[in-house]
Amino acid sequence: MRITRSVLALLAVGGVALTALGPGTASASSHREAPLIAADPAVDNTDVYAFVSPERAGYVTFLANFIPFEEPNGGPNFYPFATDATYNINVDNDGDGKADAVFRYTFQTQDLRGNNTFLYNNGPVTSLDDKNLLFRQTYTLESSFNGGPFKVRATNMPVAPSRVGPASMPNYGALRKAATKTLPGGWATFAGQADDPFFLDLRAFDVLYGGDLTEVGQDTLAGYNVNNIALQVPFKDVALKGDAKRNPVIGVWSTTERNRVRISGASAPVGKDRVQVSRLGNPLVNELVVPAGLKDAFNSISPDKDASIPAVVKRVTDPELPKLIQGIYGLPAPATPRNDLVEIYLTGVTTKAGGPIKADLNSQLNNADVNPRRFQPAEELRLNLTVPVAAMPNRLGVLAGDLQGFPNGRRLTDDVVDISLQAVEGAAQTGKLVDALAAGDKVDVNDNMFGGSFPYVALPNVGAVNKGGGTGQGAAPAALPKAFSTTGNSNMTTTAVTVGSSAVAVALGALLYLGWWRRRAATR
Amino acid sequence: MRRLFVGVLAAAGLSVVLLGVGGVIGQPTTPRAVPTAAPPVPALEAAIARDQQRLKDLPGDYTTWAALGAAYLEQARVSADPSYYPKSEGALQRSLSLRSADNAPALTGLGALANARHDFATALTYATKALAINSYSADAYAVLTDAHTQLGHAAEATDAVQHLLDLRPGLSALTRASYDLELHGQDDRAASLMRQALADAIDPADVAFCRYQLGELAFAHGDLPGALASFTAGLAADAGYLPLVQGRAKVYAAQGQFDRALADYSTVTSRMPTPAYLIEYATVLRAAGRTADADAQLQLAGAAQTIFTANGGLDDLGGAQLAIAQHEPADAVALATKEWQRRPFADVADTLAWALHLAGKDQEALVYAGKAQALGAHPAQYLYHQGAIEYALGQRDLARASLKTALATNPHFSPVDAPEAARLLTILGS
Repeated sequence: MRITRSVLALLAVGGVALTALGPGTASASSHREAPLIAADPAVDNTDVYAFVSPERAGYVTFLANFIPFEEPNGGPNFYPFATDATYNINVDNDGDGKADAVFRYTFQTQDLRGNNTFLYNNGPVTSLDDKNLLFRQTYTLESSFNGGPFKVRATNMPVAPSRVGPASMPNYGALRKAATKTLPGGWATFAGQADDPFFLDLRAFDVLYGGDLTEVGQDTLAGYNVNNIALQVPFKDVALKGDAKRNPVIGVWSTTERNRVRISGASAPVGKDRVQVSRLGNPLVNELVVPAGLKDAFNSISPDKDASIPAVVKRVTDPELPKLIQGIYGLPAPATPRNDLVEIYLTGVTTKAGGPIKADLNSQLNNADVNPRRFQPAEELRLNLTVPVAAMPNRLGVLAGDLQGFPNGRRLTDDVVDISLQAVEGAAQTGKLVDALAAGDKVDVNDNMFGGSFPYVALPNVGAVNKGGGTGQGAAPAALPKAFSTTGNSNMTTTAVTVGSSAVAVALGALLYLGWWRRRAATR
Repeated sequence: MRRLFVGVLAAAGLSVVLLGVGGVIGQPTTPRAVPTAAPPVPALEAAIARDQQRLKDLPGDYTTWAALGAAYLEQARVSADPSYYPKSEGALQRSLSLRSADNAPALTGLGALANARHDFATALTYATKALAINSYSADAYAVLTDAHTQLGHAAEATDAVQHLLDLRPGLSALTRASYDLELHGQDDRAASLMRQALADAIDPADVAFCRYQLGELAFAHGDLPGALASFTAGLAADAGYLPLVQGRAKVYAAQGQFDRALADYSTVTSRMPTPAYLIEYATVLRAAGRTADADAQLQLAGAAQTIFTANGGLDDLGGAQLAIAQHEPADAVALATKEWQRRPFADVADTLAWALHLAGKDQEALVYAGKAQALGAHPAQYLYHQGAIEYALGQRDLARASLKTALATNPHFSPVDAPEAARLLTILGS
């Protein structure tokens, strides 16, 4: 009950027992109460993709998405990039956990709205510089290699606007096209709104909270949009020593940073002094491995420190999810330590670290010019650039024998939830199919078709979010590929091998394996 | 408090009459910014709806219970509706009962709730517990910052807000850092950080908060047009954010537009009848020459304070300010002293100083007038209090300087006290 003026007076009149109301229902005089859980979605990484460009030989594409759950219900909601933040795509090509190439996006706003309108546009927008578009953003792209100074690669690049509806933007495809730019050196770049390409049923992880896996099959993200940054560069610009033949493996993650603010002492904030507020490499890291209490820590550190944070490591010497699944399905949780997960998430799949997976796929240790003594287990999305483009990509990626898919990089069509669920149950180690999980989250494809050329992501959705599962073809759950259910497959083996890495790294590997509705759920 | 309580009941009949009056004068007559479109759907409401739906499907999800509790609390803040407090507490306790170990989000939420209820010591305990579990939690540092600030732990508050800035220099950190700077008298930097926070703000209520604080900073320096522009811009983003209406009312009162000011105060106090707002309303009524109406609003303020304290609420600062307004200086001294012992915060020192002055204890009062400004902030109201105390002590030169500075800082700081400061200066001569 709210104490209004009338209630207050009535209480006074009637002599009602005043203690009938708890202190919680009356207001004290106010003190300064600032926003607490103020959303900061503009800097929230949701997903990272890295794949060899299927139609452009010798080029690799990076996609990084931000701002989850963008409702496409038309104006006046729109979703700018933050102008006081930097958005980075980081590449580690020598395996030391530190970025050797950084691609930095910073954004600027032109706000023509004044103080008395919320409108994003005041008429149809037919071009990026249409005067009807009242709120516009541009960006600057800079790059730094091997720790060198940042060099400006492009300025005043237009951001594709939030798609606020067919009446306001009758030909959105033209706006997307105009915002897709080619730069000297063959680079392609894009920033703007897109359909959220991640397809999954978030409820697949509800076992963590007492739910069950039978109630899945809806693409929880169908109909939502994200803000996308896309970059395409030649292999030589990211490979160690510029030589992708000798050094084909790279590790990728995105970060967002804000300028550091010092409240006392030091002078005004300097551009170089930044605070990392979000980080993302492999999908599902927050859901599956990083416990809620360590999410903040993980977002703050760089990959080279992953193996050295005791709090992160101590918390998860073995993943929680398999134990919960064991409780529900009677499926024995794989023995720990989980060395297979260490390979997938911390070192890359390689024979050079003594891991159980007998393949040399995507560890920087397999780069000819890497110094193994400086190699550092670190959570990165690792990609071998020289794996040929698959003619028919399999949604289950490497586990299905399609070596070009996750966890060798990540393509838009890779079903990372199903892959992850099987992997966390030890499919790689036991070779046994987890029947109860065979269908995974029962969401096998995205609700919108992906494009055939850069930036590949689908145009933003319009209209209310379709909670029924999107507009795409709801493919039946695919049968599990042979590679999953047989032992001794070419890529997978049941041989138990003790990884030479420390228990710390093993624990971290397990930790890093599982995670991300929390990332999404925590963002508002 | 017993005496106040009886007084409220005795005033019952009067309150009923007042309601009728309020119904007439409560019609807003002021021009409002007319938005050209509906404001964006608040993210907070969307988040609450999403959390509620998820918890229907999955009642065991302790993280979502904690998030819902925190969202309810934000809703209480932006809507000025305290009925969200019990909802928030229920959700947070549910989270904690589902997962008692290592549940930093629930502890952080309970700390924030304690802050909202002015139980700053309890908030400090919760925040400390949450940080022991997750030392990277920006939210827990925000709760810790608020608790330290209000408890008067200035150094600890600054330290906490720097930690917060180092973890997540976004809206919640920038707004708190801005306040910390303001408390240290660095208003330019405070405004600069608040503008940065405004640039980050997405939710209409967050925009409104930043606009309100920027308006307050402008007003504190006598910039009435700047303040009004800021309040108006805030209302364009979120017409329901009441402090903006109160801010606008202050500007109107300072401009001598009493009809507009009183209409705004009527709006504010009918939706949020806190003692502080009712006292302010009464002050403006008095300045407009409507003494009887002013007295009536003070009676309501007394009732509001009584309801709050009779139900276990703890706010002796509000009680002291009410006692001052009711010309009960001895009560005011007693209440402000209790609050000061609980939390040596600048506002409390200023109120205690003024209460002591009104009780004729100017020597003691001067000590607290000094303590109120110890961190380096010198708001016009504090300076006026100091000047009046110095005047009473016969320290004419000091009094002249203090009063001059007060009026130079903000000649409009109060429709009642600013003219009084000018009157004293006339007596003192140059």
